[in-house]
Amino acid sequence: MPHVLPNLRVKVLFFGRIRELTGITEEWLEMPEGTTLSELFEHYAKRFPALAGFRPSLVASRNQEFAAWDTPLSSGDDIAFLPPVSGG
Amino acid sequence: MTIASYPDWCELLRVPIDANAAADYVRAGQDGAIVTFDGFVRNESHGRPTLYLEYEAYESMALVKMREICAQIHERYAIHCVAMLHRLGHLEIGETSVFIAVSAPHRAAAFDACRFAIDTLKRTAPIWKKEFFEDGAVWADGELPPAPPPAKPAS
Repeated sequence: MPHVLPNLRVKVLFFGRIRELTGITEEWLEMPEGTTLSELFEHYAKRFPALAGFRPSLVASRNQEFAAWDTPLSSGDDIAFLPPVSGG
Repeated sequence: MTIASYPDWCELLRVPIDANAAADYVRAGQDGAIVTFDGFVRNESHGRPTLYLEYEAYESMALVKMREICAQIHERYAIHCVAMLHRLGHLEIGETSVFIAVSAPHRAAAFDACRFAIDTLKRTAPIWKKEFFEDGAVWADGELPPAPPPAKPAS
């Protein structure tokens, strides 16, 4: 029997143009233990192919801090993919 | 140099910003100067007349970033107190979208800190602006905040 990694559960938020593209404001998602921010993004890029092209112009955040794409997720994390900011 | 400071005021609002209240908030007897920045909605964008704007934010993270900016300017400049207010939702031409007030014993620190605060807010706070025109709407070109380097070296 193959070893099955436990799942972790994260909250994923979208803003601005990619919120409009995905139609998702926020949702909870289960991913395998060890999933990185980059792999989480790939999950969404498969669900929403038009999202893939935005990858170079996004930064990721984990628990309200900017995070590197190779950051592994922990259960309960708040994850967001952020387009270029234009406040002020 | 340490200057006694009382708590800064950072807030995201869906009602008009009260600029006088923000300036009054930072004013105290030990101060000799307040510098304010009032950012408001321009009537055009790249030559196209703007009808109105809509702002949205990742609110919890925007507040974290705004408080970090306040902490940074307290560290860098001899200032007393900061008010940093950003409005969200629907804004008409001429309405204030962001207001920053910085008080200090002397003007130079207040000017420098206020300039640093608005420049950093525009670069790092997760807030987005959608511009509405006669013939459609666009998300404003923004700045990509600097991402931290990868934790593991690339193989």
